[in-house]
Amino acid sequence: MSVQPQTPDLDNDSMEDRLYTVKYEDPGDSHLDVKVEDVCMQCETNDCVRVCPANVWREGDDGVPHIAYENCLECSSCRFACEYDNVVWTYPERGAGMTFKHG
Amino acid sequence: MSPELESDTVADPNYDDEFDAIVVGAGLAGSAAALTMANRGLDVLLIERGSSPGAKNVFGGVLYTPTIRELTDFDDAPVERYVAERRFSMLSKDDETAVSLRPGEWHEKPHNDSYTVLRGDFDEWFAEQAAEEGATLLNSTTVTGLIREDGRIAGVETDRPDGTIRAPYVVLAEGGNSLVSEGANLKQTETRENVAVGVKEVLEFPQRDEVIEDRFRLTDEAGVSYHYFGEGAVGDAFGGGFIYTNEDTVSIGVAYRIEDAAAHDQSPEETLNAFKSHPAVAPLVRNARTVEYSAKTIPEGGAESIPDLVHDGAAIVGDAAGLVLNNGVHLEGTNMAVESGYHAGNAIARAADKGRVGADALQAYPESLEESFVVKNLEHYQWMMNAVEEDRDLLFEDLPRAFADAGTEYFRMDRQPKESHAKNAKSAVLSAVGGWTGAAKLALRYRKVVT
Repeated sequence: MSVQPQTPDLDNDSMEDRLYTVKYEDPGDSHLDVKVEDVCMQCETNDCVRVCPANVWREGDDGVPHIAYENCLECSSCRFACEYDNVVWTYPERGAGMTFKHG
Repeated sequence: MSPELESDTVADPNYDDEFDAIVVGAGLAGSAAALTMANRGLDVLLIERGSSPGAKNVFGGVLYTPTIRELTDFDDAPVERYVAERRFSMLSKDDETAVSLRPGEWHEKPHNDSYTVLRGDFDEWFAEQAAEEGATLLNSTTVTGLIREDGRIAGVETDRPDGTIRAPYVVLAEGGNSLVSEGANLKQTETRENVAVGVKEVLEFPQRDEVIEDRFRLTDEAGVSYHYFGEGAVGDAFGGGFIYTNEDTVSIGVAYRIEDAAAHDQSPEETLNAFKSHPAVAPLVRNARTVEYSAKTIPEGGAESIPDLVHDGAAIVGDAAGLVLNNGVHLEGTNMAVESGYHAGNAIARAADKGRVGADALQAYPESLEESFVVKNLEHYQWMMNAVEEDRDLLFEDLPRAFADAGTEYFRMDRQPKESHAKNAKSAVLSAVGGWTGAAKLALRYRKVVT
């Protein structure tokens, strides 16, 4: 098996720096929520947390995820990931939310 | 800001009953539909929830243009580079085995209709083409639901003042996160086995010029499309990695099924980091600066996941209709989005001529889509989704490793005769696939990939 000591070190940005590259306008209210908190409390997998590429969904102390909605890249992975269909997902209104400059 | 944005010049006009058709979403499918209908004399309202078309959109990086070139003058389109090389690479943990194609023909116009683009620029330009043909573009407006009257879809609810906008036809081009179509029960929410999560970075190289040309062996407007599979790309998940060169930046990312992302210990961001750190990838992107980080979901259910495309008063196009092809070799969505928007737009224009709004009057759309490359390709490769799922360990882990080992053995430089190296190489592959019988079965199962 090959060993490659010459692989260059990459300075990957932190999540914070990465999200800082995306323009954001706060709509004021979260466009994300959970439907029934009890469902989250009984959920053991926290798939919303595992699939989120932007650290929006975080494990909460009481078993209900904390939602840092202002990080959201609006990919909607959480909505598909939740096996209990317990994610409330609405489009941020009037052009608010994130804007990709490049895309 | 573009002049066609009426909300800039008129304070919130009331659009109710002012248009022949409403298009929800100014992405590729939506703008193609709007352009087609406007061309045929319909008054079209194109509604975009972002502050401009493309603001909410991201894709891997290659736009396929055979249909779009037919719809509009493509010469001024903001493309980044044409694809001059396609490279397919299997990554085990430490190894790379790759096949690269650089046909001379791809350097000649129209460059095999394959260009890298960035959607912020491109989608805005394409929506402007629809606006130039007479469509009205309405940005920063979110469609929150559909209006039904007498059982048929008769318009949209929006978040603007006088938010109810009625029109005889609605084209749903919302993308993969199709909340409006799903909310109106026009389609089911796709299962997570059939949806991929993609994360991507756009990188620039601030330290010196011509890094992209030098690293990827490029001149002028030529660019590359690199696809990566296997353990080194996305671990044991079903998916892959990609690198595309733009004019001054590089797009790099990974995409894999949400089902696997949920089972993974590493987040999509960490998967991207691991891919970027692979010894065969890291030298291509070192000393780069991230200018944008983005994410999206990709519907990959194939032909079986296409919902009913027409309803009374409405049609579904593009990603919202699940029109994405991912068979490992071909990753296509933009061409199918434009093709579907074109056929839906045509069908609506024809129905409008006759003053009919029922789903039966729009049947020309699904019929022509079925006759097109879109459904033919999706149906042709449907079997593959299931086969690859069954063989995933072999295809994504065992085979990349076996090919790397075989290559290492075959080219081994020592004092043994080459015959013994060839024998070792052969046995590395054969033991991975289960001997000659296994190899024959595999060849039979996947023969349709290339035929």
